[in-house]
Amino acid sequence: MKRFWKTGEPYVLATGAALAIVLVMTLTLVITVMSNGLGYFWPRELVRFEMKDGSFALGQITQHEKNPVSGLRRLQLKVANRDVLGQDFRWIEEKDIASRSLPADAVLLERREHGNYFGFLKGVTAEGVTLTGATPQEQLHQALKLVAAKLDDTRAIKKQMSGLNHTAEQLRLKLLKLEYRGKEKNAAAIAALTADREKALAEFTSLNEKSSATLAGINLITAQFSDVSGGGKDIALTEIVALQSPNSMSFFAKCGAYLERVRELLLDDPRESNTEGGLFPAIFGTIMMVLLMSVFSLPFGVIAAIYLREYARDGWMTRMVRIAVNNLAGVPSIVYGVFGLGFFVYGLGGSIDSLFFPERLPTPTFGTGGILWSSLTLALLTVPVVIVATEESLASIPKGIREGSLALGATKFQTLTKILLPMATPGIMTGLILSMARAAGEVAPLMIVGVVKLAPTLPFDMNFPFFHMDRKFMHLGFHIYDVGFQSPNVEAAKPMVYVTTMLLLAIVIVASSVAIYLRNRMRGKYTTSTF
Amino acid sequence: MAKKFIDKSRRNDRLAELLIRIGGIMVIISVVWILVMISRVALPLFYPPSAKMTATVQLPAALPAGKILAIGAEEGQQGAFVLDESGSFHFFKASDGSVAASIKTPAVPSGAARVVSAEYTGKSAYNLLWDNGAISSVAVAFASVKDAEGKVTLAQDVSSQDDLSFPPSGGVLQSSARRIEGKGAVRIDRLAGDHLRVTHQLVEKDLLENEKRTNTSTEIADPLPGRLTALTVDSKGHYLYAGTDNGWLLRWDVSEPGQVRLLDTVQASEERRAVTSLALVLGDMSVAVGDAKGTLSTWFPVTLAGTGEDKRLTRIHRLRPNHGTVSVIIPSPRDKTLFSGDGTEIHVDHMTSERNLLTIKPGAAMVQTALSPKGNTLTVLDSNRTMTVWKMDIPHPEISFGTLFTKVWYEGYDRPEYSWQSSAANDDFEPKMSLVPLVFGTIKATLCAMLFAVPLALLAALYTSQFMSPKLKGRVKPVVEIMAAIPSVVIGFLAGLWLAPLIDKSILTVFLTVVIVPVMLLVTIFFWKRIRTASPLQRITRGHEFVAMIPVVLIGIYCAYLLNGVAETTLFAGDFKQWLYSSLGVRYDQRNSIIIAIALGFAVIPIIFTIAEDAISNVPRNLTAASLALGASRWQTAWRVVLPSALPGVFSAVMIGFGRAIGETMIVLMATGNTPIMSWSLFNGLRSLSANIAVEIPEAPLDGSLYRVLFLSAVLLFVFTFIINTVAEALRQRFRKKYGRY
Repeated sequence: MKRFWKTGEPYVLATGAALAIVLVMTLTLVITVMSNGLGYFWPRELVRFEMKDGSFALGQITQHEKNPVSGLRRLQLKVANRDVLGQDFRWIEEKDIASRSLPADAVLLERREHGNYFGFLKGVTAEGVTLTGATPQEQLHQALKLVAAKLDDTRAIKKQMSGLNHTAEQLRLKLLKLEYRGKEKNAAAIAALTADREKALAEFTSLNEKSSATLAGINLITAQFSDVSGGGKDIALTEIVALQSPNSMSFFAKCGAYLERVRELLLDDPRESNTEGGLFPAIFGTIMMVLLMSVFSLPFGVIAAIYLREYARDGWMTRMVRIAVNNLAGVPSIVYGVFGLGFFVYGLGGSIDSLFFPERLPTPTFGTGGILWSSLTLALLTVPVVIVATEESLASIPKGIREGSLALGATKFQTLTKILLPMATPGIMTGLILSMARAAGEVAPLMIVGVVKLAPTLPFDMNFPFFHMDRKFMHLGFHIYDVGFQSPNVEAAKPMVYVTTMLLLAIVIVASSVAIYLRNRMRGKYTTSTF
Repeated sequence: MAKKFIDKSRRNDRLAELLIRIGGIMVIISVVWILVMISRVALPLFYPPSAKMTATVQLPAALPAGKILAIGAEEGQQGAFVLDESGSFHFFKASDGSVAASIKTPAVPSGAARVVSAEYTGKSAYNLLWDNGAISSVAVAFASVKDAEGKVTLAQDVSSQDDLSFPPSGGVLQSSARRIEGKGAVRIDRLAGDHLRVTHQLVEKDLLENEKRTNTSTEIADPLPGRLTALTVDSKGHYLYAGTDNGWLLRWDVSEPGQVRLLDTVQASEERRAVTSLALVLGDMSVAVGDAKGTLSTWFPVTLAGTGEDKRLTRIHRLRPNHGTVSVIIPSPRDKTLFSGDGTEIHVDHMTSERNLLTIKPGAAMVQTALSPKGNTLTVLDSNRTMTVWKMDIPHPEISFGTLFTKVWYEGYDRPEYSWQSSAANDDFEPKMSLVPLVFGTIKATLCAMLFAVPLALLAALYTSQFMSPKLKGRVKPVVEIMAAIPSVVIGFLAGLWLAPLIDKSILTVFLTVVIVPVMLLVTIFFWKRIRTASPLQRITRGHEFVAMIPVVLIGIYCAYLLNGVAETTLFAGDFKQWLYSSLGVRYDQRNSIIIAIALGFAVIPIIFTIAEDAISNVPRNLTAASLALGASRWQTAWRVVLPSALPGVFSAVMIGFGRAIGETMIVLMATGNTPIMSWSLFNGLRSLSANIAVEIPEAPLDGSLYRVLFLSAVLLFVFTFIINTVAEALRQRFRKKYGRY
């Protein structure tokens, strides 16, 4: 035994335990996110509880635990019906339960406002429309279809309206510019533009009236529900986003519902101050910002790496550059945010505004946070990643290849573009992907230079000039922070945060895995010998 | 053709070389540029203030300086005015000194002939005390008027404010009057023979909106310790302050009609010098006291040890003394700046920062001094009947090295403290911008995280590089690299919304884990020895030990979780948090430093791990081989040979991890309560420099003090991480040079 200690085997085990703890922590994180995120969309059963005091409760069981005060088991029930009950969740002591059942006709309504509604369908009232269905369920489905068709019509009108709105806005800005340059000089043009703008606005108003008339018509179609305690509720069908009866759904129907929710998540806009609905604008904003960032960081990073590896002689200058690169990588991201705010937003943005858009001041155009400044800030932040990866891949190319090329009479530049860069491409790609993953997950600087919780428009649309660099945007990482920590009802918002987290984590992990794989393959390719 | 091609190639080559060199240098430039840009925003905090004389007006001989009761200037320095004994305001154009208008005070009280004194009450309003003891209030207003030709002229207006007026009363020498919000008004008179009288005027309205005013007078009966030399009332009419010729400062509560209560009698001046001037600093809490020898100090009531609940006036700040008797103190209407004059020059000082901002010297002895409603225009009338107007630019009076880094006695505090509280709902708030609690929070968070992360990361790195089978190594390293890629917002979210409530429920689990897991480890080691000798398991497990450790760790944590309840009931009477509070006086925050240690530690583990693993692996294999060949065990080799050689690299790994932890924002932001407190308790939250920037900068007005202070904290972060990273990098480069391989 003494020898066993002396050889240090126990210490080896201790170091092994340290690694085990690190791995367990990583796994715990991933599993926690996955288990909370993946389950959210599965249509869970609505359980009806009859309590010993004669009251009822209907809801989805979210967790079991021991009551920390009494030590008895209790369960947490998501009872929804926020507008009726005041809160989404309630705790039920297991000792108070008389019986539980799964009523087949219980329905789960996803509403546009006030969260979900759990209850039972009683009937459908549709004025001016005849519904042929025999049962309320059939009638409801029929009516829902009708409403959906009508809503599609209004959506088309809405699209037209937003186009007109954009035109009117552009005309307003043009007018501002002309007025700024001289009211008298451009009087004729101003008059013409004003007329155009008024025309667009008039058209807008008429469309608006049309759509509200349609909406008023379908708003009259309502369905009657009752909750588990017997209280009635009239809900307009336009308020209903989706309708499920999870207790009577088959497994495949549930799978269908799950996939539908995933589609909604990826392609729809958020609802209810971001706690429900989809993530499309956030996903789009993240991707666009990351791509824009790559446009800035890739060339700069690659050039700097080439300088370090191929051009610089080993001297104090190279050392300085290396220290600079390391510091760029090590400076806290929030400092980049502060720099972006001071230099890009207020400095460059302010100058652009006073040079090109003086007529719009004091309303800032570029002098406020936006996707361009965010990308530039993050480009600066991720450049070291590209530099290090590119340098590493250039370093791994054997010297003989360079010498061969130079011996054949190629210039250094030709060697670089024709031989070295193609060979280093996987490494550069690795750096690029890693930098993208980093940028996708970075939030602190973005909070300062242009991310918002809810952007009314995407930074890219069909209106000229398509890319709107000055617009603010939404971001998955910020979404997590905002919904999880700034929303008024954190408990109800949690599932959405988990889903967002899972999505962000998936993006980052997939990207990094690809990068690591590429890098390892590349390392294997050129390393001729170790030890 | 060929030559052309070669020329072109050469040209391209040279051009490319130039571009690439520029690109490389750009990296240095951008690092320097970042520092320069953020410093440039922070630097104006320390710029000296300036004052510019913008106009002088020579008063006509008909207005002798002695008969001028009040002066003032327009905010834009376009015009100035004086008030004479007859109650007329005379307006002058600043450009040429000509009289623009003379307006007689409207609503002169009946029977009054002459104004005895005028008291400035802020916002261009004056209380006029008439020779028959009546008080009326007037306000001066300026407006820019554009005439038909587009020329802008200044229009003046004098209006009376009826809600602050008192009927005549005899024998009044000096008087102050204040509005009482929603109730009426109060006047305080100094009568002959140093008697003080407080008169409340309560306004009641009947159903027909007819006003009825009732006056209640009370004479202050308290014996005075000396002759009265200075008197002032706060803007709400609640407290009356008086100074005597032998240095006593008195304070009365006069808020209740008919009741006057003496609260304080303190000696305000060493050597019992006469208190010559009193004024209330914006916010009505502090009173500025000037004495006959020019000493200037501010006082406010403080709960002192031994005085129980009663608050006593205490000297808080000593400002730079004037040369002679302080004849006038004017508080700034915008911040805690004080203007004090001794007859020959005016000092501008800020109370909180105790900074002497400016010294302004008029041409001759000062007769009257006034400050505009925005506090940036100073007007002085001297004995030569010259009125001089200064425009002052005092960008950040409340910021000094002292307020940022040393203890400051803020209003309402019982002792000097480090405090960060940048804004509040009211305008007269004293901003507290000490960076010390934030630096403290940053260091605390970093240390907690490092305590958690360094042992784990280094041991794991040692294991991975020295003991793990190469095949597994290829799988474990990517896992750690992916761990490094996990966005900090994800870690912060889980720490704040998942881990914090979990630990909140069973806090003891954490401590039990720290004990139980090592115990479990010892037990396993004990059995390991048996298994090792008993079976051929050793061969299989060599290089795979950590796999066997995973269940050990998991079981250890689970045991700790199970024991949590037992430990809490037996050791801490069933409620640990209650016990903590009652026996140790420590408050338990849900988002505390333990959460930070785990979350921030989680974020820096992969960084330390990767760099340390790299360094350890780069130790030449021939060293290891030699050691093993000499009969050392693998642990002895790793511990005595490899680790010492790799020490610089390992040290640089720790430093780089440290640098990351200092600047990490989202985790600290989400996993702490962001309360800027200074307590080493593990159960309290904190606020770090970086999280503070993220929290406050969206609301900081551009170029304001807060904005610049936040930039200053970014500069601090930058410099701090710069030093750490540079040292770490230097170490690493030296280490690489020693062992060659990149």
